[in-house]
Amino acid sequence: MSHNGFFGTFGGKYVAEVLRKPLDDLEIAFDKAMQDPSFLEELRTLQRDFIGRPTPLYFAENATKILGGAQIYIKMEGLAHTGAHKINNALGQALLAKKMGKTRIIAETGAGQHGLATAAACAKLGLPCEVFMGEVDVRRQQPNVAAMEMYGAKVISVKSGSKTLKDAINEAMRDWAAHFDNTHYLIGSALGPAPFPDMVRFFQSVIGKEVQEQSQERHLDIAALCACVGGGSNAIGFFAPFIDKDAPRLIGAEAGGIGPGQNENAVRMSGSAAKDGIVHGYKSRFLLDDDGQVAETRSISAGLDYPGIGPQLADLGKNGRIEFRAITDNQALEALQFFAKNEGILFAMESAHAGAVALQIAKEIPKDKAIIINMSGRGDKDIFITSPVFRPFEWEQFLQSELDRLKQGTDIHYAESLPTNLKKELENK
Amino acid sequence: MTSQNQIRLMSHLVAGYPNLDVSLEVADALVRGGSTFLEIQLAFSDPSADGPAIQNACAHALSNGFSTQKGLAFIGEVHQRHPEIPLFLMTYASLAYTPGIENFIKEAKKVGVTGVIIPDLPFDQDEGLTAACKKYGMENIPVAAPSMTPERLNKMIDAKFTYIYAALRAGITGSETTIDSQTLQFLDAFSKGSSKILGGFGIRSGSQAKQLANHVYAVVAGSVFVHEITTHYNPQNENESKMKIASAVETKAKEITSL
Ligand SMILES: Cc1ncc(COP(=O)(O)O)c(C=O)c1O
Repeated sequence: MSHNGFFGTFGGKYVAEVLRKPLDDLEIAFDKAMQDPSFLEELRTLQRDFIGRPTPLYFAENATKILGGAQIYIKMEGLAHTGAHKINNALGQALLAKKMGKTRIIAETGAGQHGLATAAACAKLGLPCEVFMGEVDVRRQQPNVAAMEMYGAKVISVKSGSKTLKDAINEAMRDWAAHFDNTHYLIGSALGPAPFPDMVRFFQSVIGKEVQEQSQERHLDIAALCACVGGGSNAIGFFAPFIDKDAPRLIGAEAGGIGPGQNENAVRMSGSAAKDGIVHGYKSRFLLDDDGQVAETRSISAGLDYPGIGPQLADLGKNGRIEFRAITDNQALEALQFFAKNEGILFAMESAHAGAVALQIAKEIPKDKAIIINMSGRGDKDIFITSPVFRPFEWEQFLQSELDRLKQGTDIHYAESLPTNLKKELENK
Repeated sequence: MTSQNQIRLMSHLVAGYPNLDVSLEVADALVRGGSTFLEIQLAFSDPSADGPAIQNACAHALSNGFSTQKGLAFIGEVHQRHPEIPLFLMTYASLAYTPGIENFIKEAKKVGVTGVIIPDLPFDQDEGLTAACKKYGMENIPVAAPSMTPERLNKMIDAKFTYIYAALRAGITGSETTIDSQTLQFLDAFSKGSSKILGGFGIRSGSQAKQLANHVYAVVAGSVFVHEITTHYNPQNENESKMKIASAVETKAKEITSL
C-alpha cells in the first residue's frame, strides 16, 4: 500500500485542482469497497464465472528440459476472458464504478487489450463505454477496434500529440475533468494519480495470490518471477504477495525495442535514459528530454510502448527489490517462437518479453527450483504484427486477396483458393 | 473589477505559436488591446488540461523547434518591450520539475517573469514551488476549480497567495462557459480572503467579461485569442497574416476589456 498515495518519493496526485475531488471520492469508495464483503463476494463470483479464474499454473516441461536449468512454469493469464490480464482490473473498476452510481465509463487504450477488456466488462455490467485510442493505434490495431465495437463500446480516435497511448490518456483525463459527475475513468495500468496505482494493484493481485496458492500446493521452491512491464499492472499484481518478502527474485522485462538509443525503446528502469518526472498525474521514472518534454518510445509490443512506469514499480526498482532487464524486439520474437514450438503456447508480444528473461536465466538456476513467467496475454491478437515478420510474403498475398474479395463483394466460398500469382510464386520458391 | 474605466484582463498566448516572430506581435497587440497581465504558456508535449485550440498551438510550437530556453528568451523580449506589464508563465509540472524547480524559477526570474501558473502542481504538494517563488521574489498562482470541497477551498484561501486563478467550470480550456449564479457564488467564496482573483476558462466575449467584472480582480481569456491566430494565420503570407492577427487580437482584447 502507498502512504498517502506515495511509494517512497514516487506517486502522488499531481493533477489540476478540478480532478482532485473525483480522485478523493474514488479513494473513499475504493476503501469502502475493500471492507464490503458483498462487493468482494460479487467480484469473486465474476472472476470465477466471467473471467474464468483461477487461470492455470502450467509446468513447461519441454522448455525445462531444453534449457536444462530451473523448472519453468507459466501463469496462464492469457486464458483469462478477452485474452489478457487486463480484464482483472477492468472488471474490478467497472464494478466499483457501478457501486458509486456512475453511469458512463471511459478508458484509454494502446494496443486495444485494455479497451477490449473494459468494453467487455461494461457490456456485462450494463455500462455505456467510450474508449480513447490514438489514431496511429486505431490504424494498426483494427482487429481490437472491431472487437470493442462488437461489445458495444464507442472507440474515439485521438488525433492530438503523437496519436498513441500517452495521448489517449491525456484525452481520457480531459473528458474526465469535464464529466466526472457521472463518469468513471477506468485507467488501464497501475499508474496515474492516486488512488489508481493502489486500486489497479489490488484488482491485479488476484494473479499473485493464485500463484502463491498454486505453488504451495505443488511445493514449488520459487527462485524467480518474471513479468513484462509496460505501465506495470500485470507485474505488480503478479509480484504483490511477494514484495515484502526477501525472496523470490522479482524481474521486470522492459521493452528494449530496436536498441539502446534515444527513441528506440521504452526502457525506464534498466538503462540510464529515464529521469524522475511528473507526467499524467504521478511522479515516477519517465523518458523525457532535457526540458521535460515526453519522448517518443518504440517497441514491437504496443502494450509496452509507454514512456512512464507505475510509481510503485519505480520505487521497488530504486530500492533494489525488483530487477529490471531490457529485452529487445528480436529477443522477444525468439522467445515467442520458442514457447510456441516447444510448448504449444502462443505468448502475446508483451508477455514474450517476460519469457525471454526466463530463457536468459534458466541455466543459472538449479533444477530443483522454479521460475514462473507471467504470460500476461495470449498472442492471437498479434497476428498482424508477427505475420509480417515471420511470413511477409504469404501475409501480403493474403491481405491483397482479402482486399480484392472485399472490393468485389464476393462471399468467401466463391473466392479463388489462392490468387494465381501467389501459386506461381510459391511454386518458384 | 475595473481600473481606469476598463475591465482588467489577463490575456493568454502560447510562446512560439504560430512562430516566435508572430507571437511577439501577438503580445504587443494584447497589450495595445488593454491587457493588464500577460499569461505566457510554454508548450508541453502532453497538455492534459487544455482543449483542442491550445493543444494544437502547443504542438505547432513544438514542431517548430520550441524549447524552454527559447520560451524564456521570448518572455525576456516581451518584458523588455512592456516592462510595466506583469508576465505570468504558465506551463505543466514536467517542464518545471525536470530542470529542478528552483533552477526553473531562477531562470524565469532572470527574464522578468512575475509569477507562475502550473496547474498540475497542487498548491499543498508543490515540490517547493511556492518556496522557490518566495526566494526569488515571484508569485506562485494556484488554480482553483468549482469542484473543490469547501475545506480545500478554504485551505487555499488561508495560504494567502497574492493571486488565485479561478477556473470557472469543470473540464478543459476552450469550450464555451456559461456564467450562472453558481459561477458567481464560487467566485464570491474567495472574497473573505485577501487573494486577487483571476477568473476565466472559456471566456470569449465582452458580455461574458462584463458579467464577471464585479466578481474578479481580472478576467482571463486565452483560447479565444489562440482561435483568432489560427483563423488568420497563413504561412504563405507571413507579413499579411501578422497584420491580420495583430488587428484581430487587439480588437478582441478591446472588446473584453471595455466596460
Ligand atoms: C498482454 C499484455 N501484457 C502486458 C501489457 C502491459 O501492461 P502492464 O504493464 O500494465 O501489465 C499489456 C498492455 O496492453 C498487454 O496487453
